[in-house]
Amino acid sequence: MSDLRIPIAFFFGITGILLMTVTANRAALTDAPVNLYAGMAMLLFAGVMAWLARRPS
Amino acid sequence: MSLGTIDYAVLALYFGFVLGIGFMMRRKVETSADFLTSHHSVPVWITSLAFIAANLGAQEVVGMCASGAKYGWMTSHFYWVGAVPAMLFIGVFMMPFYYGSKARSVPEYLRMRFDEKTRALNAASFAVMTLFSSGVSMYALGNLFHLVLGWDFTASILLSAAIVLGYTFLGGLTSAIYNEVLQFFLIVLGFSPLAILAVLKAGGWEGMKMRMAPAMTHTWKYLGDPSQNPMGIEVFGMVAGLGFVLSFGYWCTDFLVVQRAMAADSMSAARRTPLVAAFPKMIMPFIVIAPGLAAMALGQMNSGYAFPMKEGAGGPDYDMALTTLMAKFYPSGMLGVGLTALMASFMSGMAGNVTAFNTVFTYDLYQSYIRKGAPDSHYLMVARMTTVGGVALSIATAYLARQFNNIMDLLQLVFSFVNAPLFATFLLGMFWKRSTGHGAFTGLLAGTIAAATTHGLTLAEGKGGWISPTHTFPSTMAQNFWMAIFAWSVCFGVTILVSLMTAPKAEADLKGLVYGLTEVPSDENEPWYRRPLVLAAIVVVCLIALNAIFW
Repeated sequence: MSDLRIPIAFFFGITGILLMTVTANRAALTDAPVNLYAGMAMLLFAGVMAWLARRPS
Repeated sequence: MSLGTIDYAVLALYFGFVLGIGFMMRRKVETSADFLTSHHSVPVWITSLAFIAANLGAQEVVGMCASGAKYGWMTSHFYWVGAVPAMLFIGVFMMPFYYGSKARSVPEYLRMRFDEKTRALNAASFAVMTLFSSGVSMYALGNLFHLVLGWDFTASILLSAAIVLGYTFLGGLTSAIYNEVLQFFLIVLGFSPLAILAVLKAGGWEGMKMRMAPAMTHTWKYLGDPSQNPMGIEVFGMVAGLGFVLSFGYWCTDFLVVQRAMAADSMSAARRTPLVAAFPKMIMPFIVIAPGLAAMALGQMNSGYAFPMKEGAGGPDYDMALTTLMAKFYPSGMLGVGLTALMASFMSGMAGNVTAFNTVFTYDLYQSYIRKGAPDSHYLMVARMTTVGGVALSIATAYLARQFNNIMDLLQLVFSFVNAPLFATFLLGMFWKRSTGHGAFTGLLAGTIAAATTHGLTLAEGKGGWISPTHTFPSTMAQNFWMAIFAWSVCFGVTILVSLMTAPKAEADLKGLVYGLTEVPSDENEPWYRRPLVLAAIVVVCLIALNAIFW
């Protein structure tokens, strides 16, 4: 497993899922669901990395 | 600021992954070249991101946000003037000599091009400099985490040092480079939401402009007169000092960043490394500087955010801008990601310094002056031990910084004396075949003395003037830029003068090292997106557009 994109995909995939488990948490200065949006962005990024790693070179 | 379980979980996950990458890379290390130079085997997208991530240390993330709050959008000059043009120059013009010479380090290139004494001077000063840079980074980390989270200073630096030691000891340079890429993505994804949330809350770019002095939201418009802008510098000082001497001196000669490009798997990839890296580098001001401006604007609004102040009557505490914004805009969860990104930025800077230090120590000091001709396994062992020693000395330096802040200021100043003239040496060495080893060595010493003399004869914010103050600069930044200009000019002039009085090397000995005697690889058969000149041209167009938009 020397393709760096795979561990990157795993890391951001897990982090994204972790963030999406705590979407009820809110920050002092914003009403936006920051964890939900950031979690979704990280999952998307993880998906792109995984797709790039599996794509035939 | 207090962390929840989810925040610690993200931090633990990150530690697990960086150590995991170290274990993954351990299997690839069989020789000292594998450990210290990655054996020229790393793909270009990885070397490119590592090229900028190695520079994404504490000063970059926390410092640039602080500078954004203090100096405004002019801070973007550190990227658009003070980094990207130099990255284009090294990619297009200098990399063929570094990579083509087969030198394993920048000091080794100096030995091949000039002589042993020039290499020794550069290797010794660089080795000491990297240790102190790593120690300062560690000190900043321990201090920040103590102030923000109440963590113990010693525990913070020992934890970060242990993790960095773990993955660099296992996988050497490749492990450090691979982790720098993970750290880069973490920094971008960890801080981008903060920039977006803070800028939106401050009313967007237009809202920030309304609440701040005009000079805070322009890059060039107020550079005509030093008294009109918060940096206290004028166009010439900015372009010549930052944009030429300091920037080219760092990006084109500092082995910490050059080493990443030299790890690439081909000459073409090595040339493209800084060019590809220039694209994300152009965007970084929006991630690290914009939050600083937003913090300043938010502090003037009835937004619920108060700009941090130093205790007593010390004025604004710019260094705390980033962490106070995180505390207000990130809920538990994303707060853990943000703090992990902050930890990653410290660690990437530290690992960059440690891997550059072990290469220079092993090849340029140990193998050259202590034990020549030993088996490769011996040098691999020395490289690993140097990694341990480098981390241990960095920890010691962090404690030195904690106890003697003034000593650290002085040492950093001395390093700037050494670094400023170095680009003149390389410029003449690579592009003028008549320059000689005696010229380079004397020029470097004279340039260093010129920098020290300028500092001793000028004052800025109470600093300098230790010989006899004859001029006062409006800011230490202006003083640093002019010091660099004088140091570079003196080094350039003295190197030419002494070179003309001493015998040059035979042309046959300079093949592969000097312009005109080196065959620059052709890229005619490469697709357009792999040609250095095409990539550089695209970067220049983007750079002009950014400067025009934020004029």
